[in-house]
Amino acid sequence: MRKNRIIKNIIESRKPMAEGLITRNHYKREEEGGCGVTGFASSIPVRGKHIFEPSRQMHNRGNGLGGGIAAMGLDPRILKVSRDVLEDDYMLQIAVLDQGVMQDLEKRFIEPWFQTDFSEIIPHVEDFRDIPGLLIRPPDIWRYFVRVKPGVLKEFMEQNNLLQLTQRQAEDEFVFQNSFEINKTYYDALGNQRAFVVSHGRNFFILKTVGYAEQVVQYYKLENFKAHIWIAHQRYPTRGKVWHPAGAHPFVGLNEALVHNGDFANYHSVVEYLAQRNIHPLFLTDTEVSVLLFDLYSRTYGYPLEYVIEALAPTMERDFHQLPSEKQRIYRAIQATHIHGSPDGPWFFIIARNDTENRRLQLIGITDTSMLRPQVFALHDGEVQVGLICSEKQAIDATLKSLSDEDSRIGTVADRYWNARGGSYTDGGAFIFSLDDMSSSSLERQLTCTDKFDKPITVSQGQVPFMPNESRHKMGKATKRQDKMSRFFNHQLPEPLYEYVKKGIKDWDYFALMGCFGEIAKWAAKNDAYFEVALTALGKLLDLRYHTYDKKRRSILQMINETLERMFRHFPYLDGKRNGAYRLIDWESRQLFRGPIKNEKTLIIDSSLFPPEGDSSDSRLMADAFHKGWKRFIAFGLKGHRFHGCGLGPGSDGVRIDIYGSSGDYLGSGIDGISLCVHGNTQDQVGQIMKSGKMVIYGDTGQTFMYGAKGGEVYVMGNAAGRPLINAVGKPRVVINGTCLDYLAESFMAGDPLNGGGFVVLNGVEFDAYGNIQPQPTPYPGSNLFSLASGGAIYVRDPFHQVDEEQLNGGEIVALEERDWKLIFPYLEQNERLFGISIQKDLLTVQGKQMSPLKVYRKVRPKQTKVEQSGKSP
Amino acid sequence: MSLNSKPPEVVITPSRFRNPIGKYRLHRTDDCIGCGKCVELCPYGVHVIQAGHVLTKNHYRCVGPECPNPCHEACPVGALALNRNPTFDTMGDLRWTPDLLLSTWYMAENGTVPPRGLEYRIGASDGGFDRLRLVFPPAHRSQSEALNEDVDIGIYLNRRDGSSHHIRIDVPFYGGGMSYGSVSIITMLSRVRAAAAFGTFCCTGEGGYPDELKPYDDHVITQVATGLFGVREETIQRVRIAEFKYAQGAKPGLGGHLLGDKVTPAVAGMREAVAGYPLFSPFPFHSVYSVEDHKKHVDWIKTINPKALITVKVSTPTDVDMVAVGIYYAGAHIIHLDGSYGGTGAAPDIAKKNIAMPIEYAVPRVHRFLKEEGIRDKITVMASGGIRTPHDVAKIIALGADGVCTGTAELVALECIRCHNCESGRGCARGIATTDPELTELIDLEWGTQRIINLLMAWRKELIRILKRLGMKSITELVGRTDCLAHLDYMNK
Repeated sequence: MRKNRIIKNIIESRKPMAEGLITRNHYKREEEGGCGVTGFASSIPVRGKHIFEPSRQMHNRGNGLGGGIAAMGLDPRILKVSRDVLEDDYMLQIAVLDQGVMQDLEKRFIEPWFQTDFSEIIPHVEDFRDIPGLLIRPPDIWRYFVRVKPGVLKEFMEQNNLLQLTQRQAEDEFVFQNSFEINKTYYDALGNQRAFVVSHGRNFFILKTVGYAEQVVQYYKLENFKAHIWIAHQRYPTRGKVWHPAGAHPFVGLNEALVHNGDFANYHSVVEYLAQRNIHPLFLTDTEVSVLLFDLYSRTYGYPLEYVIEALAPTMERDFHQLPSEKQRIYRAIQATHIHGSPDGPWFFIIARNDTENRRLQLIGITDTSMLRPQVFALHDGEVQVGLICSEKQAIDATLKSLSDEDSRIGTVADRYWNARGGSYTDGGAFIFSLDDMSSSSLERQLTCTDKFDKPITVSQGQVPFMPNESRHKMGKATKRQDKMSRFFNHQLPEPLYEYVKKGIKDWDYFALMGCFGEIAKWAAKNDAYFEVALTALGKLLDLRYHTYDKKRRSILQMINETLERMFRHFPYLDGKRNGAYRLIDWESRQLFRGPIKNEKTLIIDSSLFPPEGDSSDSRLMADAFHKGWKRFIAFGLKGHRFHGCGLGPGSDGVRIDIYGSSGDYLGSGIDGISLCVHGNTQDQVGQIMKSGKMVIYGDTGQTFMYGAKGGEVYVMGNAAGRPLINAVGKPRVVINGTCLDYLAESFMAGDPLNGGGFVVLNGVEFDAYGNIQPQPTPYPGSNLFSLASGGAIYVRDPFHQVDEEQLNGGEIVALEERDWKLIFPYLEQNERLFGISIQKDLLTVQGKQMSPLKVYRKVRPKQTKVEQSGKSP
Repeated sequence: MSLNSKPPEVVITPSRFRNPIGKYRLHRTDDCIGCGKCVELCPYGVHVIQAGHVLTKNHYRCVGPECPNPCHEACPVGALALNRNPTFDTMGDLRWTPDLLLSTWYMAENGTVPPRGLEYRIGASDGGFDRLRLVFPPAHRSQSEALNEDVDIGIYLNRRDGSSHHIRIDVPFYGGGMSYGSVSIITMLSRVRAAAAFGTFCCTGEGGYPDELKPYDDHVITQVATGLFGVREETIQRVRIAEFKYAQGAKPGLGGHLLGDKVTPAVAGMREAVAGYPLFSPFPFHSVYSVEDHKKHVDWIKTINPKALITVKVSTPTDVDMVAVGIYYAGAHIIHLDGSYGGTGAAPDIAKKNIAMPIEYAVPRVHRFLKEEGIRDKITVMASGGIRTPHDVAKIIALGADGVCTGTAELVALECIRCHNCESGRGCARGIATTDPELTELIDLEWGTQRIINLLMAWRKELIRILKRLGMKSITELVGRTDCLAHLDYMNK
């Protein structure tokens, strides 16, 4: 009850905020499209330039008309304040568009209320035109480190019946309300714009501009500025010319900064909901509204983070029923109270939050219940820990690469990558990277990762990453190895070479291992046959899972990647007369492009410097190369480059494409005959409308995998994200060894699988840290499986009958028959060959006992009655 | 010299039914003496002499009281009586009035607008185009003397720079999407062949790309719709224009829906789906939830067919102007706005009548907004959704569109009577919107093609006449000329 009154009083105290607000007949919201969002948290403070590269790589998700960053967990020395001031004072930052107002603003809104410990106009590049592409001068930022004067605070608390709040809570509220008054007075999104508060929380700040996010970094000279958490946003507003700087992300609540990718359908209803609580958005974007909601739930209502997330992204359908009953009771109450404030539509939030009460910094990613926006999480453990959240995996890889270039303790590959399942009982659709203080003297913090339910996300313990600066312990037995190597290469023995290195991973130290990779690269450079041996062996080491003993898998992968790139770059360009089957092309040498001559077989494309899409992209080059006669391709160095394998058209049987690096969206969308092999995770829209051909993915795949596919044979080593095989028809035949987030095979129409139609085998397994197969907690966690499907089937490995009728809508579960097993067996055999997932030892073995496939697999097929014909609406 | 290539020939193509429906009926009593006076008088060939008997063979051509030489008044024995045909008044609805149906049939038969007796310019809905009038300046000699050949009604579809196809169509319209499955293959082919004859285009809709269309690849727009039915690299590479369908004006928020009965083995085969089951297209593209996704989507199709023009079909939500700008910036060449009046009988009434914005609201809004943004001359705006007559075409262009997409009018040319039963059973008793092999045979391909050619020829002629009366030489002069329009609601102010 007491708590209720406090909440009421806080809300009541905000009533005067609405006074003098410009009222308009309707809320005209700025249109927002999707955007690129990225963020990372590091156990040590890192430079602003590292947010630079992922931001730049997501240009195709923005249009340069709104970008911003937030930095949290700062270094007091750089800011010229003491650590106490940094942590205790509010860092009030005002963006000044009209210098003339500052005297008035200070006199009215700062001097009377605050005691200022330090203030400055933050440094920036002299002339904004020195930054290429920046068209509008960013605002000057006036920064104040302030505390509310004790007398002022006392009066505020008394006047507003807030005496039951702690001093700090009241002070928070005062700052919040004061900033609102500043914005109300000096900024009208549709009118006069003179100044606005960019941020006012503790130990973090926000900067934004009409430009790209990285231009913010450049303009305010943050390349070398260090912080624990960085988030950035590239805006892609549909409206072009007219824009106001305060409308760019991130937005501030009090102690949190939020960036958002998406678009609410119920903006107006959320605005009404906030208005009932005396909160009035001023900047006309749904992002502002989102952060106000977050602040309302966490600070005003005092909800723990889990409930804040629940209020934003409610748990629905079957997921709700899977929750413990106590949780259901609470969640139901939250939903009943706050459903009108719950953002509806596609959205994905990245939030940097200073949990001041617990002296903890957090980076939070939350996806909407339907998972309609792209999202990838990653965790990098080691001496330096990094947690990352991005729209695309390539942005994560770009961040790690950038960090790694500066600090070799950070690798270019993360330990884990995963997606969140929105509004789910499994992970809650949200993950939190928390940074806790380790000691008062050092800036280093401890990073932990948890999901919405506080379940920790960890990496396998006891493995050490590669540290290039360490001294060597063991020396490799170089001569003995040379003998072996020459045998592997001279006798064309990739398999023994693979086994040899695998064993070496156990026996050697990192330096010996690196030496071995170096030798392999040297051999590979000698001739094509040796190269092929090396490529096969290294490919398997890259693709397959095995025990890495005391070493971190990510460090080994990093070495393999580097070795492979070295091998690829060794090949000659397309000029001059050379022997050999392999030719290299990169951005610089693209003018040399031509069809194959003599015995040239394989075109190796170094994608790194090509634009990720458009007329001069590497995927377009690949399509042209095919039409000029090339049949085999290796593309490497991808940084989210899109559309590989698109545009070759029918008649591309016999073409083989190998993809290394961070592949991009729409990979292999439309392939009709090609054989495509992806050495790593893939992103969204893979294999859409695929007609025929083969695809192998040594990792996970993203949203709407094989949407509208017609055929083809596809093997996925890991998981698929949301909506795989939706609207697929014809005869696609797919093996997914992991699981899917939700909506697998909705409106599946792939005929009768026993009669030439299509199917999905869903194994629901994963690799443990030692490279062994283990079942996932449930083969299919989603609430929707095979909805509205009229054809095809899903063969799910489900020995414990965990998939139930409640997940189906129009489908039915039946026992597997002998002929079903006969149908899928060859595909599982191929799966075994590709991924080393054994049918007998892994798939048919349940709790150590081998079982009949008819007991292990179940079949989901359309209900055998015709779907009711729905009549015309009245 | 005219830019236009030679238009197709009009060939008189009467109804395929023995007793075409007319607005009037002439009743002939036994008193008829067979004098042949009526045959002589009638300018429209309603009466004929056959073997010494006079027969009222072509009731449907009678223009009723508007006839300059009324036969029933001149009959020496008073054997003729003029009545309104009761069947006539049961047809259509307020938007597609029986007058409009019959005048469309007339145009499809004769390649010209009806001379008398039928209101062929507007319907009776008392809203939308039916409240708008073209305002012509007082006629003077030079206008009527201008040659028809000097009036250009062609438009450019690619107004962006770049390496994509440069396409001009000689008429300001092309056929909007109707899928194989929603209409018969003969209907589809008739539309495509007519489009080819005009050098314009016709869209496949989302039901795949039947092989029968292959000879007309250069005049086909292939549709990439949310169900992705029949969409393959091959079909995208075959054409010069690819269309994204995000939504239909008739039913925004709902995907395509083909009821199970219409999904015959042939339809299912084309879409590679299962016969007898209803086919749903999801409402959104599952891979496009934002404008940056849309850009990616456009880039994808451009990767598959780099020279193709991209047209984007959207309905008309309240923020249609923003949508249009987003479409432009994503690299599309054409934005196709589909307003709320369109749709066959298969679209639920509740959606047709309540959701999208009428096209005559949406077009000026988009036109103005694109202009303010400085990109209006970089993108082609096509409008559809209830364009029934050449006058509707002129009006929507005056409101800011560059051209229109045809749909229902072409089905009416094939003698659709707007019975609104497109979705029931195997569809259409008249063999238009059907998938039933027997019903499909109700239409002969040559007949269907010529009917649509005739209709569009009539539209073409009428548009030229309208432009001449407005004193314009090119249809592009009319774009956005709202001063050429009057709205009846504001006439007295």
